[in-house]
Amino acid sequence: MHEAKICLSLIDLAETHLVRAGGERITAMRLEVGDLCGVIPEALEAAFPICAAGTRAENAALHIDRTSGRRLLLRDMEIL
Amino acid sequence: MCSTCGCGHPEVPSGTARHPHPEDVRRVAVERSILEENDRHAEALRKRLAERGIEAIGLLGGPGAGKTTLLEATLDHLGAEAASQAAVEGDCAGDLDARRVAARGARVVQVVTGAVCHLDAHLVGHALENLDLAGVSRLWIENVGNLVCPAPFACGETRRALLVSTAEGDDKPEKYPAMIAGADLLAITKIDLLPHVDFDPARCASAARTVKPGLPVIRLSARTGEGMDVWMKWVREGRA
Repeated sequence: MHEAKICLSLIDLAETHLVRAGGERITAMRLEVGDLCGVIPEALEAAFPICAAGTRAENAALHIDRTSGRRLLLRDMEIL
Repeated sequence: MCSTCGCGHPEVPSGTARHPHPEDVRRVAVERSILEENDRHAEALRKRLAERGIEAIGLLGGPGAGKTTLLEATLDHLGAEAASQAAVEGDCAGDLDARRVAARGARVVQVVTGAVCHLDAHLVGHALENLDLAGVSRLWIENVGNLVCPAPFACGETRRALLVSTAEGDDKPEKYPAMIAGADLLAITKIDLLPHVDFDPARCASAARTVKPGLPVIRLSARTGEGMDVWMKWVREGRA
């Protein structure tokens, strides 16, 4: 269950870009998860609400594009 | 209900003067790796080690694949050179591996990860604060025994050796492709057990190369010494 740690990294990254863009909170995030990156999308989705509680990504919708390869990216997000 | 501006938003208490409306939503492109912080740590670590002339080799594999035993045999092969080897040993509990490796003449630091299932660059970086690297030419990073979780986390190593033992089964590369994808060498260990187990080394190698074409695959037994010369060549020269 290393996905919790991945979630925390995701939220850190998202909040950094949120602040940079002058936003207040994140309402949705679109990720790319490659089949060889070592991260299971379902485990990520399960860990996300717990990790996001109390952050500016709380309640954000997670959209995961599954691709082939080793990429694990935060592609874009919707912010307010 | 938002009655201040009349937008009808159900979650906004009345009297809230300013609140975001759906039309305020902005899309921001990020296009960054979620692991970039760990990758940054790993790159800094790699650079720091390279500046000191230290090469770092990652040892990965499931519990019981033979990582520590291979490291012990490697240190024995190196003879006097063992004193210039250092090791970071990752385990959920205890310091058994650190003691085994230290007994073979290497400098060792044990990282106890508790419930954490893998090492990462940050953990390794801090572990190295407790290791005297003067005179060290090679650092071994023995990850927590696990064929899943260590895959995405770079630890500052320049090369990764993945171990799969004959006792584990030849289907491991098919089942754990992410670990294969990140490996620079696949070592089929405990090859001396081959007559006693249903393990097809050709199937194992071919499955690994389906995931990672051209991956070097070697067969060895740390116990009998079979294949150790090929392993040592990879360790010294980077090719098997």
